[in-house]
Amino acid sequence: MEWLTPDILTEPVGLSHFLAVGAFLFVTGAVCMATKRNTLGILMGIELVLNGANINFVAFASPYFREDNLGLDGHLMALFVIVLAAAEAAVALAIALNYYNNYATIDVDKANELKG
Amino acid sequence: MFYELVSQLSDSTLYQSLPAFGVELVLCATIVIMLLCRIFSLTEKIDASYIAFIGVIVALIVLSPMKPWDVSEALDGIEIASPVRVPLGDLPSVEIFTGMLVYDGFAVMIKTILLVFLILFFAFVKITKITRTEENTDFFTLVLGATLGMCIMASANHMLTIFMGIEMASVPSYVMVAFMRGKKKSSEAALKYAIFGAGAAGVMLYGISLLSGMLNSAHIPTMAANLADIMSNSPDSSQLFVLGLGAMMLMVGLAFKLSAVPFHFWCPDVFEGATAEVNAFLSIASKAAALALLVRVAIGFSVLPTPTETPVAVAESPAVIEAPADEAELDANRFFLVSDEQTADDIADANVEVEAHGEEAVANSEELADPLSQVRYFMAMLIGFIAIITCTFGNLAAYAQTNIKRLLAYSTIAHAGYMMMAVPAAIALSAESPELAQAAVGGLAIYIAIYVFMNLGAFAVVAFVRDTSGSEEISDYAGMIGRSKIIAVCFTLILVSLVGLPPLAGFIGKFAIFASLAQGYSVTGQLYLLVLLIVGGLNSAISLYYYLRIVKVMTIDPEADDTAPMQRPLGMLQNSYLLLMTVPVALLIVDWEFLNVWVTGALAHLLVP
Repeated sequence: MEWLTPDILTEPVGLSHFLAVGAFLFVTGAVCMATKRNTLGILMGIELVLNGANINFVAFASPYFREDNLGLDGHLMALFVIVLAAAEAAVALAIALNYYNNYATIDVDKANELKG
Repeated sequence: MFYELVSQLSDSTLYQSLPAFGVELVLCATIVIMLLCRIFSLTEKIDASYIAFIGVIVALIVLSPMKPWDVSEALDGIEIASPVRVPLGDLPSVEIFTGMLVYDGFAVMIKTILLVFLILFFAFVKITKITRTEENTDFFTLVLGATLGMCIMASANHMLTIFMGIEMASVPSYVMVAFMRGKKKSSEAALKYAIFGAGAAGVMLYGISLLSGMLNSAHIPTMAANLADIMSNSPDSSQLFVLGLGAMMLMVGLAFKLSAVPFHFWCPDVFEGATAEVNAFLSIASKAAALALLVRVAIGFSVLPTPTETPVAVAESPAVIEAPADEAELDANRFFLVSDEQTADDIADANVEVEAHGEEAVANSEELADPLSQVRYFMAMLIGFIAIITCTFGNLAAYAQTNIKRLLAYSTIAHAGYMMMAVPAAIALSAESPELAQAAVGGLAIYIAIYVFMNLGAFAVVAFVRDTSGSEEISDYAGMIGRSKIIAVCFTLILVSLVGLPPLAGFIGKFAIFASLAQGYSVTGQLYLLVLLIVGGLNSAISLYYYLRIVKVMTIDPEADDTAPMQRPLGMLQNSYLLLMTVPVALLIVDWEFLNVWVTGALAHLLVP
């Protein structure tokens, strides 16, 4: 039954635990992007992916986990990403609204007038 | 102490970074001026497009290379050189803003191409009157904002600026696609573009977080040095796996901007939904910046920053680092994976593993002298593979298209594939002969410069025909020769040039890229370069068919009853604009040495210090 208790469950909280949370958020977001048909759901998935990356940045930057770390770069990137995510969400929501005005729906599956 | 720190920082910012950041500052200032003009209701009197035009001219003037402040002098805090114009070839590569951006000939060259394109693009938009005068401020703000992002992409030297640049170029583009309000198709196209783009950016950011976390830095030259360290200390397979995963995720974002297969889905839909003018912007400016960024990342990871910093005496051959994953899985890891299995299977045989490592070290002693060679191989294979499928898919899918904008979208995808082919050649050559690698990047730059005229001309034809006949279907081009000779002739020349047949300009670009592939093969003996060359040649032959189909429709097919009629002949301005685009395409073959000289000068210090 050794596989039931991998190291990550027994060792003290360190970098890998944060990375696991980040990876979990990333996968959740990616699944959300792939399965949701509602534009707002997809945008939420994108936010999850960005935040998963942010957790990675902050964890990699922490001096408490590793001798060599990403340092201030990581914190700064996380801050910039938060701002950018807001800007991107604003634009995407405006575009979704514009789409709603034309189609009276925000279901991406209904967006099939253009065929690739 | 504190005072010195601040004064050093402000000196390096004021006297070194900001002068080299002039283009971006001018673009920002132009955007602010345009918006202020609208706040004070001046836009009724002053057309915003003229402000934007003047802004771009000023940016071009500022761009012409100034001698950046020598770092050592600036740090001493006393000597402040006056800006001296130096020839492009003497422009050293200077990191500005503490390494966030880099200012060198390559950046200057790409920015020049972008700004010249913008001037032609403004004329195009002015002629077709795509925007009403009161909307001009919005539209030109978006255009300049996207260009600002592209300038940052072209000089990115840090993972943060890579991401910021891509986002700053993408977000305004989403809005530009949606700019035709009330048109159903354009809102759908914008929605698809925004969602694809945001998703790709998210994946890319995650990849960046993995890469920079593993390499303990987000500054590309430092990352390259750290990667060389890791690669020379026999990394274990999990390290290589994470690095490879990060590199591939980073590649997702780049491939999206390049519209490379398999991240090209947005391209045909967006091109069909958006107006021809916006298509021209997306297919030229956006692509040029993305290619510049690809070159930056590829070269940045393949070259160790400065010889002295390198732990081993490797500095001579700038190794390529970027893509550790695939090759790691394929080749480098062949060994490590084996040893891993061994450890898993019988732990007792630790000695065997050590031996194995020892053997490998002996066997790969040459490899170890160049810790980045595996990375280089992986990177070249990854980019080369994407280039092959992009190019082939774009050309094959273009066959079935009936809408001219969709066809040009697939043509854009195929051309992105051709242009990407230069990058593996540059990567492979960077270790053996930096000069030749620079020449490979130079071939790419020549291609981009020519592509500006070809694609702008093609989309100008599409826009002018749309304005007079209201149609964008290829079948409505039937009998064009009888209705407008100038469109038929110019479009034919441009299409043949897109195929890459001599004596038109497209041939020069393709020749430059294929020549660097052939040179790469003969110097390094890497087989994949030969494969790329053959695939590129075959693809040019395939593309002949669908480009010439349009020519056939225009010249041979008779005008059918249901062909959309042209309401009026083209105006003076339209005709002269078409000629302005076509003449360089037709006549560049006469003397293109100046282009070559310019590009060679600009790239003189990309790899060779």
